[in-house]
Amino acid sequence: MMLPLMRSELLKIKRKAFWFLAFLGPFGVVALQVVNYELRKDYLMKHYPGWDNYLDGMTMFTALALVLGIAVLTSFTASIENETNAWKQLLALPVSKWQVYLTKFTLLAGLFVFSTVLLVLFAWVYGIILDPGPVIPYGKLISQSFYPLIGALPVLALQLWIATVSKNQTIPIMTGVFGVILTFVAPLLPDWVIWKWPSLYNNWDQPLVNVLLGAGLGLLLYLVGMIDFSRRDVK
Amino acid sequence: MEYAVQTNNLTKRFNKEIAVSGVNLQIPKGEIYGFLGPNGAGKTTTIRMLLGLMKPSSGSIRILGKLLNKEKIAILRSVGSLVENPSYYPHLTAVENMEALRKILGVPKTRIDEVLALVRLTGAANKKVRGFSLGMKQRLGIAAALLNNPELLILDEPTNGLDPSGIIEIRNLIKRLPAECGMTILISSHLLSEIDQMATIVGIISKGELIFQDSIDVLRKHAQQQIVLRADRNREAQQLLLTKGIKAELQEESVLLPESSDQHVAQAVQELVQNGFKVYRAEEEKRSLEDIFLDMTAGGERAL
Repeated sequence: MMLPLMRSELLKIKRKAFWFLAFLGPFGVVALQVVNYELRKDYLMKHYPGWDNYLDGMTMFTALALVLGIAVLTSFTASIENETNAWKQLLALPVSKWQVYLTKFTLLAGLFVFSTVLLVLFAWVYGIILDPGPVIPYGKLISQSFYPLIGALPVLALQLWIATVSKNQTIPIMTGVFGVILTFVAPLLPDWVIWKWPSLYNNWDQPLVNVLLGAGLGLLLYLVGMIDFSRRDVK
Repeated sequence: MEYAVQTNNLTKRFNKEIAVSGVNLQIPKGEIYGFLGPNGAGKTTTIRMLLGLMKPSSGSIRILGKLLNKEKIAILRSVGSLVENPSYYPHLTAVENMEALRKILGVPKTRIDEVLALVRLTGAANKKVRGFSLGMKQRLGIAAALLNNPELLILDEPTNGLDPSGIIEIRNLIKRLPAECGMTILISSHLLSEIDQMATIVGIISKGELIFQDSIDVLRKHAQQQIVLRADRNREAQQLLLTKGIKAELQEESVLLPESSDQHVAQAVQELVQNGFKVYRAEEEKRSLEDIFLDMTAGGERAL
């Protein structure tokens, strides 16, 4: 049942700018880095040389783009069904509610994976143009792009939950904006704040901690959201 | 008798408020069941429970022989529905809207053309639904409900917002379906005239309780007829009729004959004419189904 549902969801996001935004996110992140280097290339290359610094410098932009993108796309996803209350039509089809929820989550996660792949690609291309060092650290290029995404999974699960169960999209948009602000000041926040995790900052300076926490709590919040969604009456 | 839908003491509470109370629907297969009630009587809540969109607070639902809480997905495979206002994806075309549902239902692609033709939307098939009129959206909703060729079709207020010709069209379509496709149809409305022209069986719900459930003919029997006569001197006319042994009641500008057989009416008119009255009007006054419906639903428990 999941595959037909996924095909149906893919059809529904047509003409809704989902793919465009999935492109815009990574493009914007690398574009910011381009501006960053074009403005003060000599300073950065002198004090922060090498690929590692180039890639680390991008993480904060990536985290912000992710949290912002999550807020926008989860809200879009919910509004597709909310606009004419299509939930009642969708859920009167021979599908279970948890499958519908899982499909929506998977679709969004898939879009962000697509974005992240583009991010790897764009960062690689500009890296080559910039040429910060002779050896390209491909492992770091990939991990530095995907770790923020995994760290952001709890935010994705939470925003999807709020967006799907809210009739009024003001609430998810408020939590979304709030989340972006928190991510913006990530280094100042205590480690337990989930909006800090995509930035890969923590007290131990171990990005993997954020990744593991993100995957764990992301799964948990997804399950809580799915169970709650399944138990609710469709209005 | 084989039932397409049977509910047993179906009840739904929202916090303390009881929306549906102990409803026992019995919808025989192949019939058009008219589900009547004023707005807010519990029609839509009942229908949402039948579709598994809401969980009953108590009671059970059996659809096409299966228990809803046990085999929901299997049941929904054979059910088509249109609940309240039609749902659609405005940024998609009519065909794409159908396709989004078809992928899940797994019916052949040709079925989309069939249902769109059935509701006469073939011409607008590739237009975005955003620009559709309300009637077209409603017809698209009905097309969606028919997509899986359901055994049970549930339509909640399907003629809402349609113009008269649209209403007639949908009505004819609905009337055709049981015979042609062997469908059972549950159709809700707050207008009795609507149901009167389609349904074979009627259920009336008021304040969450099912207060009537029988064939439409039984309901019609409650519509008594009487004859209204208007003569030049009504008061004297009534007295004359009474002296001749014909029951008559005086109304403001007419005389009412409770007995409406041809023989009675002929006799009354003859007496009046022979005694020099001028008879202007002799009309049948039906206590309309609408009146009965209003009586029933206004009083709640009163009625039958």
